[in-house]
Amino acid sequence: MQHEDPRNGESAHRSSKKPKLSSKFITESDTRDEFSHHQPRVARINNGSFGSCPGSVLTAQRHWQLQFLCQPDAFYFNTLRDGITASRKIIKDLINADHVDEVSLVDNATTAAAIVLQRIGLSFAEGKFQKNDTVLMLHCAFQAVKKSIQAYVTRAGGSVIEVRLPFPVNSEEEIISEFKKSIEEGKSNGRKIRLAIIDHITSMPSVVIPVKELVRICRAEGIEQVFVDAAHAIGSVKVDVKEVGADFYVSNLHKWFFCPPSVAFLYCKNSTSSSDLHHPVVSHEYGNGLPIESSWIGTRDYSSQLVVPSVLDFVNRFEGGIDGIMKRNHDEVVKMGKMLAESWGTNLGTPPEMSAAMIMVGLPSRLCLNSEEDAVTLRSHLRDHYGVEVPIFHQVSKDGEEEVRDKDGFITGYVRISHQVYNKLEDYEKLRDAINQLVEDGKTCKMLYTE
Amino acid sequence: MASPLHDSPNAAVNGTSAVEAKSRLPKRSRLHADSSPPLFTPSDILSEFSHHDPTVARINNGSFGSCPSSVVSAQHDFQLQWLQQPDDFYFNQLQPKILQSRTIIKDLINADHVDEVSIVDNATTAAAIVLQQMAWGFAEGKFNHGDAAVMLHYAYGAVKKSVEAYVTRAGGCVFEVPLPFPANSVDEIVHEFRQALQRGKQNGRRVRLAVIDHVTSMPTVVIPVKELVTICREEGVDQVFVDAAHGIGCVDVDMKQIGADFYTSNLHKWYFCPPSVAFLYCKRSINNSDLHHPVVSHEYGNGLAIESAWIGTRDYSAQLVVPKALEFINRFEDGIDGIKKRNHESVVEMGKMLVEAWGTHLGCPPEMCSSMVMVGLPAYLGISSDRDALNLRTCLREKFGVEVPIYYRSPKDGEDGVVTGYARISYQVYNKVEDYYKFRDAINQLVHNAFTCASLPNS
Repeated sequence: MQHEDPRNGESAHRSSKKPKLSSKFITESDTRDEFSHHQPRVARINNGSFGSCPGSVLTAQRHWQLQFLCQPDAFYFNTLRDGITASRKIIKDLINADHVDEVSLVDNATTAAAIVLQRIGLSFAEGKFQKNDTVLMLHCAFQAVKKSIQAYVTRAGGSVIEVRLPFPVNSEEEIISEFKKSIEEGKSNGRKIRLAIIDHITSMPSVVIPVKELVRICRAEGIEQVFVDAAHAIGSVKVDVKEVGADFYVSNLHKWFFCPPSVAFLYCKNSTSSSDLHHPVVSHEYGNGLPIESSWIGTRDYSSQLVVPSVLDFVNRFEGGIDGIMKRNHDEVVKMGKMLAESWGTNLGTPPEMSAAMIMVGLPSRLCLNSEEDAVTLRSHLRDHYGVEVPIFHQVSKDGEEEVRDKDGFITGYVRISHQVYNKLEDYEKLRDAINQLVEDGKTCKMLYTE
Repeated sequence: MASPLHDSPNAAVNGTSAVEAKSRLPKRSRLHADSSPPLFTPSDILSEFSHHDPTVARINNGSFGSCPSSVVSAQHDFQLQWLQQPDDFYFNQLQPKILQSRTIIKDLINADHVDEVSIVDNATTAAAIVLQQMAWGFAEGKFNHGDAAVMLHYAYGAVKKSVEAYVTRAGGCVFEVPLPFPANSVDEIVHEFRQALQRGKQNGRRVRLAVIDHVTSMPTVVIPVKELVTICREEGVDQVFVDAAHGIGCVDVDMKQIGADFYTSNLHKWYFCPPSVAFLYCKRSINNSDLHHPVVSHEYGNGLAIESAWIGTRDYSAQLVVPKALEFINRFEDGIDGIKKRNHESVVEMGKMLVEAWGTHLGCPPEMCSSMVMVGLPAYLGISSDRDALNLRTCLREKFGVEVPIYYRSPKDGEDGVVTGYARISYQVYNKVEDYYKFRDAINQLVHNAFTCASLPNS
């Protein structure tokens, strides 16, 4: 059956390649085949942590790997650089960057954070910044980023402001108002805020942050630079770096954009302030610009950076391409989230418009999830005894904050469910039933430690 | 002794060259009562490296290494396990398996404790780790502005840049040890090194770090590291970092004997691992508690080995196949020691064959080379720049199917009509004498055709 490309007429920058008009869209059975290497007995509802990669892209990756092994010197001199440039060009178009020079490929968002923060650390060391100049971040920033700030900013004499965002959250206004408050606080002792690090989609708990608005506020408040940590963004929300307006923007392609582990892009707005950015692993390319430095950091397997064209082919086999995938993932994860909340008598952590392809769903209070260890234990228990893979968040209650309740007590735990193209209704029913079973059996998290 | 396989594919030339003798089966397969697998036959080896381009005389193992298909296959298994259920792999498998690899390496290199062994991507990464620590030393006032770092003039390009990025930029002074090439003796090296240390220590400066190659890259020479480390200790150098990218599987690697503070070596070059995996050894002492991986994860502060074992979501499979590489190696007679010995003897034999055919000379005496050696190219070729060397390399690859890196050695004052180009030939278990004949004949052909580098495009 032939389908018209529904995206004819859309803005040209959306993607660099449209599906052939004569090709069929991928079927459900094709999709199952593409992910047939996934463990069949596991309800894999955690695409957010480690992502996923279809069989056809893995095949393409093998091909690149074999080329290197077959004749590495020829590969290095004739093939590698062009392959990386081709990937960078595709990404530049996907994210609406002005120039391919603004796009570097790195291993992951963790590496990108080290690149940006190392430069901040140098600025302190070289006296460009004063002691107690400040970096601002979200309280729920990814732990690796927090540690990177400790390693490069705190150690160099900088100070840190953490913005505590409310959770559960009901509207973007709540976030914007907290953010503004923290900036005021930060500037109160006359400190200069050199960098703001803002998640596009926080990890735990997961919330879609109104980054465009927050970047605008940063500019209005005279914050020198803004780094958006969008690890989860590409393939899950719309990514338009010009619209977002940040100085630096990173996203992992192996999470929601079907690349194998691991590859991420770091976008650096073309400006003098981004000219002194370096990859911390220094090769002979040092000084040739971050994209070139990052494209050779010693002998390694660069194959995951080379398959972006194959990924685009894969994505374009779906109706609506990546836009279609994003919309369906969003609609499904919200639907599944509501199904679970209703079955458990709990809540969603965010409204649908503040969720992308992941959503937080409250766990029944009767599970008595009262610590980080409880969360880890419950997660392991679900994996080992029920074949369900889902990360669990422990909500620490804050003084003066109204806490959410279900019929039996306070809701202190949430699951973060993901939806990707390989997920099915049964995955979420399995989770639903597992939790219901635990509650029915009168189990609390503490009781699971010994099992 | 004649072997059942003396008409093996490797015995193309009549005669009793050492290379050919080594490619034959030993007198009998060693099948122990405890049923360790039998030694590899030449045909096993061909099959293990059947993914290598058969049209190429691949005499450059030194640059990118090589990996047998049984190890590649083991790597694929690990990659698949991750893809099947990454969460389970992350929580239950990854750390124990990295620890297993580290433990094997600790034994191989005679380190005291597995805590001293971190696994990183490559020597380039290891250099960044050690040198970033230097940068902090300057930034935090532990070192004085102008304190020195000493490195060899022939240090690897990436390491030189890393020294610039982390030491020079932070206010340190860098001194290079000039080394003569062609090399004649270990004494020359020792002498130049001592001189460089003296320069470093002038005006009350402290030498905070000496970076010493175990086997230089271009041009390749084996450096007397143990002796140089001893000199460093005598001269009050704070720390010594041995860059042994070509170390493990190529020369003897004994941490306690060498005595350096830091020692790094790539396992994907001469130890049959896939790209890419290297170890960084850090002698346990009070000075090393502050080493960090530059890519900071939630493991920051838990020690370099633990930090390096998780630097965000990535493919760690190359780090997990060290046990499989060891298994592969132990199917050769005398394991890695046998391989090293035979590689060395073969590369020297091939080097001598080439210099005799071309009327040139080796870049160093046999005892100063490992499984690589520099072979002088006929002066007639007129290699007169780095560009010429690269262009000649490309010509050899594209027109003759020979892969070999070429080094340009600029003539010194007063030198005339000398050899200005050297090829760095490698020998690894998959090489055969035909590879070197192909190279010999290619150069002879070029000379015969009155070819010079001046005639190449972009010259």
